[in-house]
Formats: sequence, structure tokens, C-alpha cells
Amino acid sequence: MKAIIYFLLITISINIQAQEHVVDQKNKTFLPSTMKLEVGDTIRFKNSDPFAHNAYADDKANEFDVGMQFPNKDKVIKMKKAGKFNVECAIHPNMLIEVEVVE
Amino acid sequence: MYQKTKIILAILLSFSFTQAKDMQEWLRPSEIPQPKNNKLTPQRIELGKLLYFDVRLSSSEKISCATCHHPKHGWSDEIATPKAIGHEGAVGSRNSPVILNTAYQNRQFWDGRAKTLEEQTLKPIEEGVEMNMPLSILIPKLNAIDGYVKLFDIAYPKEGLNKTTLAKALASFGRTVVSTIAPFDNYIMGDKNAISKKAKRGFKLFKTKAHCIDCHEKFNFSDGSFHNIGLNDGELHGKELGRYVVKPRASWYGVMKTPTLRDVTKSAPYFHDGSVQTLVEASSICANGGRYKYNVKNKSTYIKDRGLSRQEIDDLVTFLHTLTGPDMKLKIPTKFPQ
Ligand code: HEC
Ligand code: HEC
Ligand SMILES: [Cu+2]
Repeated sequence: MKAIIYFLLITISINIQAQEHVVDQKNKTFLPSTMKLEVGDTIRFKNSDPFAHNAYADDKANEFDVGMQFPNKDKVIKMKKAGKFNVECAIHPNMLIEVEVVE
Repeated sequence: MYQKTKIILAILLSFSFTQAKDMQEWLRPSEIPQPKNNKLTPQRIELGKLLYFDVRLSSSEKISCATCHHPKHGWSDEIATPKAIGHEGAVGSRNSPVILNTAYQNRQFWDGRAKTLEEQTLKPIEEGVEMNMPLSILIPKLNAIDGYVKLFDIAYPKEGLNKTTLAKALASFGRTVVSTIAPFDNYIMGDKNAISKKAKRGFKLFKTKAHCIDCHEKFNFSDGSFHNIGLNDGELHGKELGRYVVKPRASWYGVMKTPTLRDVTKSAPYFHDGSVQTLVEASSICANGGRYKYNVKNKSTYIKDRGLSRQEIDDLVTFLHTLTGPDMKLKIPTKFPQ
């Protein structure tokens, strides 16, 4: 009985905890290139390339700019509001993630 | 013995395989990229070509798109001046880029301020220092030329002759301005003797020690990206801020779009400010850490002193010469719709 309660408590706490999603930047591409997130979730940007990237979104609700991100340095961004928008790289305009944030 | 040959064979096979794969990234894409709402047709291209060479698109009736991007000058300035010269001799702020292979770019202009060729193409017409022709005057003017009204109706049935179709027609012609087959392409396609030994050494340097490939990559020799290569030092007071003008993002300070290196022998002077006359000098700047090595705000991390000797720069430039193909076959119109 106790075990079940613990189990329930743990699953609940996992559920309400915001999730972290990892995006790698490699060979001038974002991986993954489409994402579905919830408000409050975070994206951890990694950089596996030997040069800098600069992820940003110009969307009104979730505007952000991680700035110059040098190799092997992570940056974490929190999703503030629901909406659909694109994340691009300021240096390499061929890089793109389609993001959907839901409540 | 048998085992040994098998191993050697495997090594040889994997070697030739990586070789081929290495080469593939330089191949021409099978089709010219084109948007769904403006697919290329012969009628659209022909109409766009007439407009491109027609001086009636400028207020002085002396300037056409070809004045600054002329096929005889590698699609760059007719007058080889460092800055573009337009309406009544007004000097623009930047060197006219070649319009070669713009179909393969997903940002236009040195600072990338236009996304598509359709968006880009109306800007020089209205620009005071370029053609100085407000569209509110140009569209009625073109609509009064019966020949154009007919051609637009054939190329864009029921869409009319307006801003949108004017942009579409000009963009269609622009997309067909594609580099021709250069000695380098023949080499990539398997003709080992298409380029000299010296050029092959240059190609190797280009991909390895000189790191040119970090930015000048694939078929178009451009990553379509933005970099500050250190042409100016320190803060850019009164100088070109590059993409920073579009939005003051720190990483956009003084950055410019990587230009194609196709037909680059035909388009001197070089760089966005036309400040360099020769490929030797341009290549040395890119290979040896920029014109200014220190104290450049936001210089690209790819631009470093690669320690190339004069001989090696010479090999690189010999390689760049193999990227030039014969002029595109094109009949420049002499008669325009009336
Ligand atoms: C007075 C000279 C002049 C005229 C006339 C002119 N351009 Fe340009 N063009 C330029 C300059 C200078 C630039 C670069 C401007 C910049 O990047 O800010 C440019 C940029 C471009 C580009 C972007 C190329 C790239 O690689 O980003 C295209 C495409 C282009 N012009 C097409 C045209 C067309 C089509 C016309 C006629 C409607 C035209 N131009 C008329 C000077 C001119
Ligand atoms: C950091 C990325 C980067 C690297 C690495 C790089 N280039 Fe460039 N290159 C550029 C950019 C950006 C420009 C345009 C700069 C400007 O006008 O402000 C340019 C311009 C040029 C031009 C002038 C082209 C024109 O039409 O004006 C030549 C030639 C050139 N590069 C050759 C080379 C060679 C050779 C190498 C290797 C030694 C090299 N580049 C390495 C980014 C790079
Ligand atoms: Cu990037």
C-alpha cells in the first residue's frame, strides 16, 4: 500500500514538473527540427559544432535570443506562453525548428 | 594471402566511396529552387528578361537592372566601380553583388534583409539612389504599354499587371541566372584532367588548412550565412553595420552574407565595399585572419590566421579560377514591348 502511494506521488510530481527538452546544433542543423512543448517547459540548446550558433525566436509571446553560443556551452530557454513559432539561427539562416507550445 | 587482398580491397573500396561522397556535396542540384506560387515557365522568364533590360523602369529612362548587374560583367556592375552608381550618378553605399545563383539563397542582399527574390526585386526600382521610380507611377506606366499588358496576361493569366506580378516576372528571370559548367564541375563529375595539379592543390587547401569551406560550401560556394570577416577594426562608427541594421542583435554586428565564389574572376572589385581589386588580396584577407587581426568587434570565429604561404595563396587563387564557366547563353533584348 505504502509503495503504491509513493509510486503515485512520484508520477504526479514528474507530471507537474516542467520538462526539459534537448536540442542539439550539429552540422548547421537543429535536431530535432519540430517540437511540441508545454508552457513552462524548457529547451536546452547544445552546440556540438566546432563554431558558434545563435538560436533566437522573434515571436511576440516567446521572444528570446540566446546570443553567441560557443562550442560545448549550453543555453536554456523557458517557454512562456502558448503559440506556434519558428526558432532560427542568427548566423545560419538555413537552420530552423518549428515549435508548438500548448497550455 | 587471400585475407590480405580482401583487406586491401576493402580499404580501397571505402576510400573510393568516401572520395565520391566528398565530391557529391559540390554537385549542382537537379532543379532550380522555385516557389510554389511562381513556378518557372518560358513565358515568365522571357517577360522577366525584357523587364530586366528595360530602362523605362527607371525615372531617368537610362538605368535598368542590367546597369548594375550586367551579364557582360559577371552579372555585376557595368562600370567596375567599388560602389553602385545609379540615378543621376548617385553613389549607393554598397558594391553591387553578382546576381548569379540567387535562386539558391534563402536570404537576399548583403545583410539578408529580403527573404525571397520576389520581395527583393521591387526595392531597387523605388530606391532613390538606384532607379528612383515609385511603383505608384511605374505600374500605370507599364499598364499603358499594350505589349506588356499582353505578355503579363500570357505569363500570369487573370493576375493582372501589378506590383505582385511585376516582382514575380523579374524574380523568374533572376532565378535562371545560374552559373554555367566550369572546369571544376567537370572535375567533380569525374574528368580528372579538367583542372591542373596546382588547382587541385588549391582545392585541397580550400577544404583543409585554409578553412574556406567553413563558409564557402556546396554547389554555390556559400553557406548562405552571415559573418564579420574583419574588414574594419573596432567599433564601426560611420561604417557598414551589416545585418545589425535589420535588427540590433549582438551577433549581427558588421556581418555580411557569404557571397558565391562561382565566376568570381569576373566580378572585381570584391567585398561589400568593393575595397579589394584582386583575388590574391581577397583570399589573403580571408585566409590570414581578416584585414584587421585584433580589436574587431564580433569577428567570426572561423576567421583565423591559417598561416598560408604566398605559394599556397597562389594555389588557392588558381583553384578559384576553375570556378569560372563560359558566359551564359543569353540574347540581350534590343526590342522592347510598345
Ligand atoms: C544602381 C545600381 C543597381 C540597380 C539599378 C539594381 N541593383 Fe540590384 N543591387 C545593387 C546593390 C548595390 C545591391 C546590394 C545591396 C545590399 O546588399 O544592400 C543589389 C542587390 C541585388 C540582389 C541581391 C543579390 C544577393 O546576392 O543578395 C538582387 C537579386 C538584385 N540586386 C537584383 C536587381 C534587379 C532585379 C534589379 C532591377 C529591378 C536591380 N537589382 C537593380 C545595385 C543595383
Ligand atoms: C567566416 C566565413 C568565411 C571564411 C572562413 C572565408 N570566407 Fe570568403 N567571404 C566571407 C564573407 C562573409 C565575405 C563577404 C565579406 C564582405 O564583403 O564584408 C567573403 C568574401 C570573399 C571573397 C570576395 C567575393 C566577392 O564577390 O566579393 C573571396 C574571393 C573569398 N571570400 C574567398 C575566400 C577564401 C579563398 C577563403 C579561404 C581562405 C575564404 N574566403 C574564407 C566569408 C568567409
Ligand atoms: Cu547556426
